[in-house]
Amino acid sequence: MMGRKGLASLTSVAAALLLWFVVTTLTGLVSPGRFPSPAEFWQSLVQIATRGYAGAPLLAHAVQSLKLVLLGFAVAVATGVPLGLWMGWSRRAEAAINPVFLLIRPIPPLAWIPLAILWLGLGDAAKIMVIWFAAFVPSVINAFAGVRAIDRPMIEAARMLGTPRWRLVREVIAPAASPMIFTGLRLSLQASWTTLVAAELVGALLGIGFVLNVAQQDIYPGMILVGMVTVGLLGWATTWLLAMAEQRALAWNMAARD
Amino acid sequence: MGSIRFDKVDKVFGPLTGGVKALDSIDLEIAEKEFVAIVGPSGCGKTTCLRMVAGFEAPSAGVVSVNGKKVTAPGPDRAVVFQQFALFPWKTVRENIDLGLRNKGLAKSERDERIASALRLMNLESHADAFPHQLSGGMQQRVAIARAYVLDPEVLLMDEPFGALDAQTRVVMQEELVRLARVNPRTVLFITHAVEEAVYLADRVAVMTRRPGRIKEILDIRSVREAENWDRHQKIEDVMDLESFVHLRTQIWKSLREEKGPLGV
Repeated sequence: MMGRKGLASLTSVAAALLLWFVVTTLTGLVSPGRFPSPAEFWQSLVQIATRGYAGAPLLAHAVQSLKLVLLGFAVAVATGVPLGLWMGWSRRAEAAINPVFLLIRPIPPLAWIPLAILWLGLGDAAKIMVIWFAAFVPSVINAFAGVRAIDRPMIEAARMLGTPRWRLVREVIAPAASPMIFTGLRLSLQASWTTLVAAELVGALLGIGFVLNVAQQDIYPGMILVGMVTVGLLGWATTWLLAMAEQRALAWNMAARD
Repeated sequence: MGSIRFDKVDKVFGPLTGGVKALDSIDLEIAEKEFVAIVGPSGCGKTTCLRMVAGFEAPSAGVVSVNGKKVTAPGPDRAVVFQQFALFPWKTVRENIDLGLRNKGLAKSERDERIASALRLMNLESHADAFPHQLSGGMQQRVAIARAYVLDPEVLLMDEPFGALDAQTRVVMQEELVRLARVNPRTVLFITHAVEEAVYLADRVAVMTRRPGRIKEILDIRSVREAENWDRHQKIEDVMDLESFVHLRTQIWKSLREEKGPLGV
């Protein structure tokens, strides 16, 4: 069953597609050299999906990009969340780490690309490192803020019950901070995709960013749009998966907000 | 086991920035299995007294001890019931009650047994697998009391435990607490600003002054309760109608009123 809201979104998507068709094909308001028509888009899609483009079929490019994003994101979360929790919990850790963090934070993640390539070459490792830097910051900040926002009586209750340190972190601090942690993960995932395409634009032999780069050099608007749409869909799919995970993990919190 | 002692206890908040003296030379002894309520105007430091027994705060001078041992940190021998319940919302009722038992390293079978009896004691059996947000405020506070009682603590510290409940639920919980105190007597330190609640529940009521808080007087309720046989009444409103109850209540009220500021607040 589709609700009113579903119907409305479907209508607006259909309208956008129609508008696209009208301005590029029916009226020729936008020349095909600047923006592809639906037919050209379709041809490009078929070409890259079957015969391949930029050295590989679409699936191979997509898998490569997805792999880099997931690895970079995973490394960022695995390091950023514990660091944020620790800084939130220990004033001493905050005092020691925060100044360095604040110093590094304003550097745009993409500014690390030259250094990453210098250190790790043009392979996957350099890109994962750049994604890590980009995705690391929101994970740290939100985990940190999540701990700081915990109600004091909740922690006092755990201490009164004689909860040992690691159990306190695992069963009280981390779950209490988890709504904020998930906010951080969402932002980290977004940052991962943004950075990936930029990192692949600079130097890669496979991946959606590389497809975009080659298509730009070939002056091939249809293929550029295929690359953009693919990144958009992959980004949407991973965000959706994360939202599902969040809903499961925070069932207690969602219900409490009703 | 389970006596509490305040020995010339001072508390100053923010001593580095000039400091506000919250408590001034508190002397109080609570005997084993005695129920003592502290009443006082807001901001008088009564909650601070409880927090020092819990080990959440340290005295600036003097000593707080339980069973003759100086309090230095929180621990399950001194269970706390908070005004805002402070349950873990991601844990079920059973898991909330279980945490303290797991921390003690007890075997699963013993934990299950003790949880079952705590659930029975607080009439929570049918809600064992519910999450806190699915329960009313009164039920949540029952869980918090069960979580404290299950530890079999020597001392029970209750910080305005019924302050966040509506009037009817509050009365039910007060009667419940009296029932509990009979079934399973404990040393209780009870903080409240509700005079009637203090007189109804406590063996002794300590009245505090305005900040810096001092103990102004201590009233013996127990001897009156026993002499007048309050316990023959089941319901709180019947007890509250007794002349001896009204008399004590009025006495405490007057004592508290003297502590109000010039604007009556």
